[in-house]
Amino acid sequence: MATDDRSAGDAEPSVNADTRIENARRRLWRRRQLRRGLYLGAFLSVVGLTYFVFLDFLGFSFAQLTTDRATTQMGKFVDGLLPPNFEDVTTYTKENEITGLDALWVTLSTWEFGLLWGVVPGLWPTHIMDTLAAANAGNGNVLVSAAYTTVAAGFVGTVMGFPLALVFGVLGSERVVPFPFNFIFRGTMSTIRAIPAIVWTLIYIPIFGIDPATGVLAITTDTIGNLGRLFTDELEEIEDGPIEAVKSTGGGRIQVVVFGMLSQVTNSFIAWTLYILEINTRIAITLGVLSVGGLGMYIDNQIGLLDAGYQNAMAGIFVVIFIVLSIELISSRIRARLRPGESSGRSLLDAIMNLGDPRKWLGRIDD
Amino acid sequence: MATITIDSVSKVYGEDTVALDDVSLTIDDGEFVILLGPSGAGKSTLLRLLNGLEEPTAGTIRIGHETVSGTRSDVAMVFQMHNLIESASAYRNALTGALNRTGTLRSLATRYGPDTERMALEALDTVGLLDEAKQRADSMSGGQQQRVGIARALTQDPQLLLADEPVASLDPKASEDVMGYLASASAERDLTTITSLHQVNIARAFGERFIGLRDGEVVFDGTEDDLTMEVVEEIYYEDSEHVESVDRTERESSERAVVDAAEGGS
Repeated sequence: MATDDRSAGDAEPSVNADTRIENARRRLWRRRQLRRGLYLGAFLSVVGLTYFVFLDFLGFSFAQLTTDRATTQMGKFVDGLLPPNFEDVTTYTKENEITGLDALWVTLSTWEFGLLWGVVPGLWPTHIMDTLAAANAGNGNVLVSAAYTTVAAGFVGTVMGFPLALVFGVLGSERVVPFPFNFIFRGTMSTIRAIPAIVWTLIYIPIFGIDPATGVLAITTDTIGNLGRLFTDELEEIEDGPIEAVKSTGGGRIQVVVFGMLSQVTNSFIAWTLYILEINTRIAITLGVLSVGGLGMYIDNQIGLLDAGYQNAMAGIFVVIFIVLSIELISSRIRARLRPGESSGRSLLDAIMNLGDPRKWLGRIDD
Repeated sequence: MATITIDSVSKVYGEDTVALDDVSLTIDDGEFVILLGPSGAGKSTLLRLLNGLEEPTAGTIRIGHETVSGTRSDVAMVFQMHNLIESASAYRNALTGALNRTGTLRSLATRYGPDTERMALEALDTVGLLDEAKQRADSMSGGQQQRVGIARALTQDPQLLLADEPVASLDPKASEDVMGYLASASAERDLTTITSLHQVNIARAFGERFIGLRDGEVVFDGTEDDLTMEVVEEIYYEDSEHVESVDRTERESSERAVVDAAEGGS
């Protein structure tokens, strides 16, 4: 288009500014009309596909949501859920048959001085400590140990997945490994990512049995694919300057990768790993549905008891919310500190030390 | 230390973009040389060839008796955009100058050894940043960052120091500072230095020998006294045809930019 205009301009140098502007305006208007047409077409296709093709195929109708059966069941469910029954929160409340919110109250109001994991001294809630001391990871019947299993599985899966994700992620980058060969690693990561963690668990169950370790392995595998991919993407964004600078000092290949490339992405790698930790905690909950342990397994078991279990299931859901939000809060606070704008001139050490200031948690002060 | 010999060097990018056209120069040991010329004259290309970041299409570059091929630790470069590791301290950045002689494993373990550590701190002292050694690069001002860039180059313990538009993105005060440190570092160590600049006034204040490049050819080579207004004009402006064609391309590209911007906003 630009070429046409120039040749026209050359042929008629006397074309005045008004005409040129009018031409430009008309050209832009046509483009805009075309764009509007495309948007409208896309919108109509999405709506059409949803209502006339897919909903029909799935046999879904909105009338289903209001049948008698649905409304009575929903009523029972809601009745059962409120109030939640924290009977199973610790072995103490379970054995002493302390139910409802009282169980939660008893658990959170009894504290004593002791050693967490036999090492960390402090004032800890007695019943939670006792439960954890006696717990084994497969125990999905007590909320505290189920939550502990979930958090531990998410954490260990992330930690074990990290080094492999780092290797695959770095080698998958075209900047590190030349074009066709980096696809060996990219392809591996894509394949891993194509299989959801819950399917990895199904694959691992026949091999390793129904066991929390199976869940951990599934999360580890999933982490390699997801975190590795994020690492690769991050490496594609880096600047050439520092790479060139390290090259020009006469640095070797590995030095160029470490000092020129990885030094640019250290903070983002930490941030992405924390983000994956959040996701992995949620995945660990989901995997429990396959009976490999944790909160998902507890909720699944309780829902299976129907009316009798709804209240306990609700307690489980509350614990899920508490666990996920806590991990998210910690991780997002650290990640926020690592973002370029906020972290410039500040070391990771400062960022972690600043976590102690509650005003920052609430976003009351920026710095 | 050694003489730099540039012998009939040409550099062609792609099919027919000639960046350097048969350039021959000799630069003596300890000289402080400033390359002048408009954008696209070939200044950066010449520096990148000297540094071994790129290979000449024809001709050879020798440092002493050795032909340059590939990057080497005895040729150091200061870049326009400083190119520091932003998340690392000034000190860590200066130390990266010593990567080559430190070796991979020791550098990964940050065991550079006391001699190199002393050298990095001396280099930071030379550019007046000894007290800021602990400070992170991205918390420093543009001028300070560029001075860290000089310190990194000095830690390399080079025979030849190159600087590619070291002050192009700095304000006038910082520009003078940085050029001052570059000149004094070079004089202190009797270091052969070649820097490209586009501010003629700053060049005059610091240069000993000036080389003017235009369209990939050397059009001037002399001292400050030889660098008259006429010469400067010849290096930068004289070609009226050239100026006009730049003007037209600019107008067209700005018209297109307007169209793009309007579309992006709709």
